[in-house]
Amino acid sequence: MANLAAVVGIGQTKYMTKRTDVSIAGLVREAAFKALQDAELTWDDIDAVIIGKAPDMFEGVIMPEVYLTDALGCNGKPMLRVHTAGSVGGSTALVAASHVQSGTFKRVLTVAFEKQSESNAMWALSNSQPFSTHLNAGAGGYFAPIIREYMRRSNAPYDVGIKVAVKDRLHGARNPLAHLQKPDITMKEVEESFMLWDPIRFLESCPSSDGACAMVIANEELADKASKPPAWIRGSAMRSEPTMYAGRNLVNPQAGRDCAADVYQQAGITDPRKDLDCAEVYVPFSWYEPMWLENLGFAPEGEGWKLTMEGATSLDEGGDIPWNCSGGVLSSNPIGASGMIRFAEAARQVRGDAGAHQVEGAKLALGHAYGGGAQFFSMWVVGSEKS
Amino acid sequence: MSQPEILSQAFELGYTYTRSTGPVIGRFFTELKKRKIVGIKASDSRVVVPPMEYDPDTAEELSEFVEVGEQGEIVSFAWVKKPREAHPMQVPFAWAMIKLDGADVPMIHCVAAAAESDIATGARVRAVWADETVGFITDIRCFELV
Repeated sequence: MANLAAVVGIGQTKYMTKRTDVSIAGLVREAAFKALQDAELTWDDIDAVIIGKAPDMFEGVIMPEVYLTDALGCNGKPMLRVHTAGSVGGSTALVAASHVQSGTFKRVLTVAFEKQSESNAMWALSNSQPFSTHLNAGAGGYFAPIIREYMRRSNAPYDVGIKVAVKDRLHGARNPLAHLQKPDITMKEVEESFMLWDPIRFLESCPSSDGACAMVIANEELADKASKPPAWIRGSAMRSEPTMYAGRNLVNPQAGRDCAADVYQQAGITDPRKDLDCAEVYVPFSWYEPMWLENLGFAPEGEGWKLTMEGATSLDEGGDIPWNCSGGVLSSNPIGASGMIRFAEAARQVRGDAGAHQVEGAKLALGHAYGGGAQFFSMWVVGSEKS
Repeated sequence: MSQPEILSQAFELGYTYTRSTGPVIGRFFTELKKRKIVGIKASDSRVVVPPMEYDPDTAEELSEFVEVGEQGEIVSFAWVKKPREAHPMQVPFAWAMIKLDGADVPMIHCVAAAAESDIATGARVRAVWADETVGFITDIRCFELV
């Protein structure tokens, strides 16, 4: 990796179904301003702004970055918009980080958002196209058969997804910013919730949220002078693979495995379960926890569900490798921001600034996002120390 | 050599969107419904119409609304000889930058005129309101020469 860079400020809005009190600009602004406050900086201290969101058709604002420049203090500064479907929050953070790691800028602001209450999140994510060779199943319809195939291959018990749904909501109840607040959720309640896309139940799915997340990323010199502990970026990686190619391994995508291997190698991680203290991983449907446990090397293939069932990923059960202590995507999902929230929450953990969902003494954490038809992957490892 | 077949398929992409316009844009639309035009005072004291939520120079939140006149003058213009279906008027008209009385920057709107020769930089115009105002920018149907 090139020069060292670190997260020195984090800002998030309270995730909720509808933010009717603010415009899209107001929502984005709120997160960005909080990140500046957290870093004890002003707009003048920022050299460039990197923004990300999911497809324009979501809210129907074409090229929203055009009209968000004044809200983000971009006057006279470079601004860049990133897009990689659902993983965009992660890849936006990585593009921002690379601008600092390369030495191009000293300090950048990065922000990602979605105002799903103003959108059509079910179908505008992937529109059918003229002369396409494929029909369009929507997000749940696309992922359901992949999950069923995981269940078949791994012989996992039927209630693994139910357990993840409960675990992440209990985590979310510790996080005042989480959209869903369900401290009393039970396995029975999840099991009895209606079947949305068989085998995915309603409570095994992410909510639809309004929200924005922002970070300030600075170079080593400025991060050393930061007022609060920085989260040092110890590794960063992105990988892609074709979406409409039936020959790939959708249950355990090669791009995800390669991306993880790359980021671990940079961060000196040989055993992710042992070396990392916690992880924030993009799990929009409950069964993606055991699937990604395997894809990311926390468990051998076919055995990810065992960690889930043993409580290894649960803060409440004292697990050794808590996943999604913030409540994860299952508790809050403003799609464009969801990846960046994972990256920011990983940074909060190693800054020791995660409040009631803090993993005691966390020093090394993984942030992960995936998007498209599980075809774009972005990850970073952040640490409390430089190396 | 045979000509390749050109593929063509009707394709309509459309969703119904909702919108929260926030305290500044929302106020502008609410005032339009009342047949009033408001701008906002920027950090350098200029009155910006339509109003912006954040200052274009300092990025600070703006909140000081200023009502401006429904008359103003043309700063620049482009004459549309043959309007298309998507244009706001179906007879020849001008797209124009109009600086309303009390505003310091122009805004874009359309101007009705019988002929291009009637339009000029500096010409005075007045807002023509829609029969029924609903809180859209189209509540100002067009501007006409004074």
